[in-house]
Amino acid sequence: MAPGEKIKAKIKKNLPVTGPQAPTIKELMRWYCLNTNTHGCRRIVVSRGRLRRLLWVLFTLTAVALIFWQCALLISSFYTVSVSIKVHFQKLDFPAVTICNINPYKYSAVRDLLADLEQETRTALKNLYGFPENKSRKRREAESWTSAWEGTQPKFLKLVPLLAFSQDETSKARDFLTGRKRKVSGSIIHKASDVMHVHESKEVVGFQLCSNDTSKCAVYTFSSGVNAIQEWYKLHYMNIMAQVPLEKKINMSYSAEELLVTCFFDGMSCDARNFTLFHHPMYGNCYTFNNRENETILSTSMGGSEYGLQVILYINEEEYNPFLVSSTGAKVIVHRQDEYPFIEDIGTEIETAMATSIGMHLTESFKLSEPYSQCTEDGSDVPISNIYNAAYSLQICLHSCFQTKMVEKCGCAQYSQPLPPAANYCNYQQHPNWMYCYYQLHQAFVREELGCQSVCREACSFKEWTLTTSLAQWPSEVSEKWLLPVLTWDQGQQIKKKLNKTDLAKLLIFYKDLNQRSIMESPANSIEMLLSNFGGQLGLWMSCSVVCVIEIIEVFFIDSFSIIARRQWHKAKEWWARRHAPPGPQGQDNLGLDIDDDLPTFTSALRLPPAPGTEVPGTPPPRYNTLRLERAFSDQLTDTQMPAES
Amino acid sequence: MHIKKYLLKCLHRLQKGPGYTYKELLVWYCNNTNTHGPKRIICEGPKKKAMWFLITLLFTSLVCWEWGVFIKTYLSWEVSVSLSIGFKTMDFPAVTICNASPFQYSKVKHLLKDLDELMEAVLERILAPEQSYGNASKALNSTIWNYTPLVLIDEQNPHHPVVLDLFGDNHNGSAPGRTCTAQACKVAMRLCSLNGTVCTFRNFTSATRAVTEWYLLQATNIFSQVPNQELVEMGYPAERLILACLFGPEPCSYRNFTSIFHPDYGNCYIFNWGMTEKALPSANPGAEFGLKLILDIGQDDYVPFLTSTAGARLMLHEQRSYPFIKDEGIYAMSGTETSIGVLVDKLERKGEPYSQCTMNGSDVPVRNLYSDYNTTYSIQACIRSCFQDHMIRNCSCGHYLYPLPRGQRYCNNREFPDWAYCYSHLRMSVAQRETCINMCKESCNDTQYKMTISMADWPSEASEDWIFHVLSQERDQSTNITLSRKGIVKLNIYFQEFNYRTIEESAANNIVWLLSNLGGQFGFWMGGSVLCLIEFGEILIDFVWITIIKLVAFAKSLRQRRAQACYAGPPPTVAELVEAHTNFSFEPDVAGPGPDPGTYPDEQTLPIPGTPPPNYDSLRLQPLDIIESDSEGDAV
Repeated sequence: MAPGEKIKAKIKKNLPVTGPQAPTIKELMRWYCLNTNTHGCRRIVVSRGRLRRLLWVLFTLTAVALIFWQCALLISSFYTVSVSIKVHFQKLDFPAVTICNINPYKYSAVRDLLADLEQETRTALKNLYGFPENKSRKRREAESWTSAWEGTQPKFLKLVPLLAFSQDETSKARDFLTGRKRKVSGSIIHKASDVMHVHESKEVVGFQLCSNDTSKCAVYTFSSGVNAIQEWYKLHYMNIMAQVPLEKKINMSYSAEELLVTCFFDGMSCDARNFTLFHHPMYGNCYTFNNRENETILSTSMGGSEYGLQVILYINEEEYNPFLVSSTGAKVIVHRQDEYPFIEDIGTEIETAMATSIGMHLTESFKLSEPYSQCTEDGSDVPISNIYNAAYSLQICLHSCFQTKMVEKCGCAQYSQPLPPAANYCNYQQHPNWMYCYYQLHQAFVREELGCQSVCREACSFKEWTLTTSLAQWPSEVSEKWLLPVLTWDQGQQIKKKLNKTDLAKLLIFYKDLNQRSIMESPANSIEMLLSNFGGQLGLWMSCSVVCVIEIIEVFFIDSFSIIARRQWHKAKEWWARRHAPPGPQGQDNLGLDIDDDLPTFTSALRLPPAPGTEVPGTPPPRYNTLRLERAFSDQLTDTQMPAES
Repeated sequence: MHIKKYLLKCLHRLQKGPGYTYKELLVWYCNNTNTHGPKRIICEGPKKKAMWFLITLLFTSLVCWEWGVFIKTYLSWEVSVSLSIGFKTMDFPAVTICNASPFQYSKVKHLLKDLDELMEAVLERILAPEQSYGNASKALNSTIWNYTPLVLIDEQNPHHPVVLDLFGDNHNGSAPGRTCTAQACKVAMRLCSLNGTVCTFRNFTSATRAVTEWYLLQATNIFSQVPNQELVEMGYPAERLILACLFGPEPCSYRNFTSIFHPDYGNCYIFNWGMTEKALPSANPGAEFGLKLILDIGQDDYVPFLTSTAGARLMLHEQRSYPFIKDEGIYAMSGTETSIGVLVDKLERKGEPYSQCTMNGSDVPVRNLYSDYNTTYSIQACIRSCFQDHMIRNCSCGHYLYPLPRGQRYCNNREFPDWAYCYSHLRMSVAQRETCINMCKESCNDTQYKMTISMADWPSEASEDWIFHVLSQERDQSTNITLSRKGIVKLNIYFQEFNYRTIEESAANNIVWLLSNLGGQFGFWMGGSVLCLIEFGEILIDFVWITIIKLVAFAKSLRQRRAQACYAGPPPTVAELVEAHTNFSFEPDVAGPGPDPGTYPDEQTLPIPGTPPPNYDSLRLQPLDIIESDSEGDAV
């Protein structure tokens, strides 16, 4: 006999090929508990005594529960992120820098358009506050305007009357135009009182907005006349400017050569050609440095003010609009090249006759998008169309959302934001009641009733420049004497006057150092980590593995069902036999049922290698148990191979 | 021979494994291993056996793959970051204070006299060429400055730009470009090298900038020839600059400040530098517990052409670090009170292999020139040292703004006429900067002082009189008021309510993490542990042993076959031969009916009753001894 055959025989003898072929569920459970790889189950079967067995059942169940709990925790915390912060010292891209004069248009240029409005504002001021009409701006020949205006009807005040209310009788109001008291109908909306309560204001000032038919009116009140008049002026200003074509507006505003007296970047001279025009509805012509299309982005390879952007700005205060803006200076915003500069929302104001030095630190943040957080990579999955010609940001989304709603509800677009396709800016020639509509809508927007805030999501990655702003006097006393004439020469033909130091502002924007911090999110868990954590939990509590899980499936589902099925089949067969044959084999059936209970060591007997004694031929008498068993099995199981009896 | 015998014995003893054939071994292993899969392979039915075999194989490969993933992750040396925020007693930052003007004009006037005259003449010529030309007879002592003259480039005709020397003698005075303005004319600096044969124009779009740059270049040239001691004397002395000082409740004075000479800003004074004595801690937030200073910048005594900005320059930095005040400093305006709330933003990184940073700069291939000040390494120091290095290599002289290595000299026009040209080239060179950036490593600990700056007018109109009076009296011992709003600066520097934000790196994946994950994977898929691996290793060794034994047996059989060439039937195997030789009850089963796969050998060969069959265990061991003795016999 070949050795291979021999071995095979030996294996078959020593390790009988058996499975959980127990006849009943109980047997199967027993077999499982004794043979499973998980700990605990075996103890239940092996333990003697009820209490001990109960304890082991409890322990095992607790361990199972713990495993489930811990694994549930692991799964629920799967989508968490870990944050890492990295620092690089490297050549950094210089950000785009947008510079605006606070005043949008040269007053001398827009005065013709705004003449009526100015006159009415002055009248209103005079009527209520006794503000002398002609003293404030001597340069302007207000007298001529007054005389010209005498006969005409005040259209602005009539359209949106300015009113003063006394606290106790809110339904009565004093008209600014006539000074008479008049009854106010419709709902009164106190603009300030929505968000916060204003206390102890004796008299409030506001204006009334009515929809087309004057039945529906809303009054917006302010605690101070300054706010009321500025707001009122702005409303009319937007109305007027909305009708002016863009080219004309650009011409009315400041040119780059005019605004920028000198420019110096990274040790090199620059001039107006390095700036791109960006027209902002409320700030007029703004100029963006380092934002030129089709050109490489400038970068800095040294920190410090010498290597950054240094500009001297010409701010002509004489050309300022007295009602629209009340501060002097310029506004600066540092942003990404593809980002839209929201100059009215964020921005650093710089003062005249000062050197403003702005040191920057760059921080980049990257967030993980779905399913880790609700951010969006490029805004393409946000159901708001981007009306700005710039990369997505939360701000852009909110403004776009509002503007779209505005066009939907009021039929025209608000002036300070870009136009959506196929829409016009609001003006009261075409849209007489847009202001009422706008205020209603704006209130709803602030109260988050428009749903913009819930639809818009933050962007996943953003660059942030932390700015450290400090001021110094410039020019210094001693250098003023030579500096101003030279700057006047530099400005050349742009202006025909000698520069004063209050007309100038110096701005330095630079990287403090080239350390760039990146804050990155990365998944805290990977699928491997989850599995190994599972493995840890399973192993810790029950020394279980996937193999155990498969075992459980095998035993509890496949084998159990097969046993039940077999039983049913057997019963059915029996029933069939009973119906067709005389009841003979009933005893046998009973016998089989009896056996179940008193066969506690069946599987263990099968599994154990045959004792040496059994192999001694002929000597041991056949054991009844095994014999019986075999009979019980032989007609049921076809695929079982019992070890051959000696 | 003895050694060989001994060794063999040892080996035999070592290899007493659970079986003599591969199969036996495998079965034994599967039955007894603690990993979960293999056991199932052998104790199930044939179909399940195959399934379990596949499952075990699959899981083994999964475990191996994920082990690979984990080991790779471990070797990528990732870090995790922990952030802590709060208030604790910390060392107050070192505060460096400079005046925006490096020197008192009254003291440097004698050095700058010629230059200033020239500058004024230039300005006159730029602004009003016609008039100044009339009385240009004023003799300009321009011989020294001629190395880098300022020129006016008239670009009214873009194809033939006319270059006019602003210092030039009056010979082509009637040139048409004299009347041009900024739109048509550009002021430029002529930089020449090699005795004026190779020249470039450095163009400026604004005259302001051009004259400032030119003046700075010339002033650098002058100051670089003055010994350091004299420069210090020409700057603002501490007692003039610092009028009052209060640190928390304790008074301090200018004597508590360490003086350092900064080429850009002259005398700078550092409070709490921690060089000689211990750094002062601050245990409370708020302005009352911080540093309060009153400075006088003396704006009237500024050098008019050198600086156009007036104010104090200040910077917060770490103890024992050099203040790079030009990069990171901020201005404080005169006539105002500037309050600065400080948050210490610290980043502590792990060094190699986690990130490319250096702990103390010793592994950076650039000599730190700032080490003379006994300061710690910083990347700014490295980059400047690197620049100075390049400067000395290319222009053979050091730049005035950076420290000088031993045995080198500062650049000046007299000794190094080409230096301005050379410096200008080097400064504009992007390649040079990038080399330096690549050579320098950032330091592992990065501290930033985040400042919240606010300003208010100071002194108030009501308090102005007495404050100026008291301060003048204290400083100058005079009853006259020597101070004014234009010069006085008040500073409050204090810790914010949360004064630190520390970001600390720690290894994301340490060896414990690795082991626990490896264990987790192995446990998850196969319920295994390290002991299982050892088991497996043991089996492998056994495997090798069996192979060796088989080879030996095979070699023997070959030899024997050669010796006794033929057998009647099929040649007996070595084992059989050996068994037949030693075991008397051995019957070769050659004559048997041949292997029948369906039946069991036990059924066929019933042993003779009364003589129990040989115990298999003892049989198993026996061939070994026989082989052993056999080999011994051979050897002898």
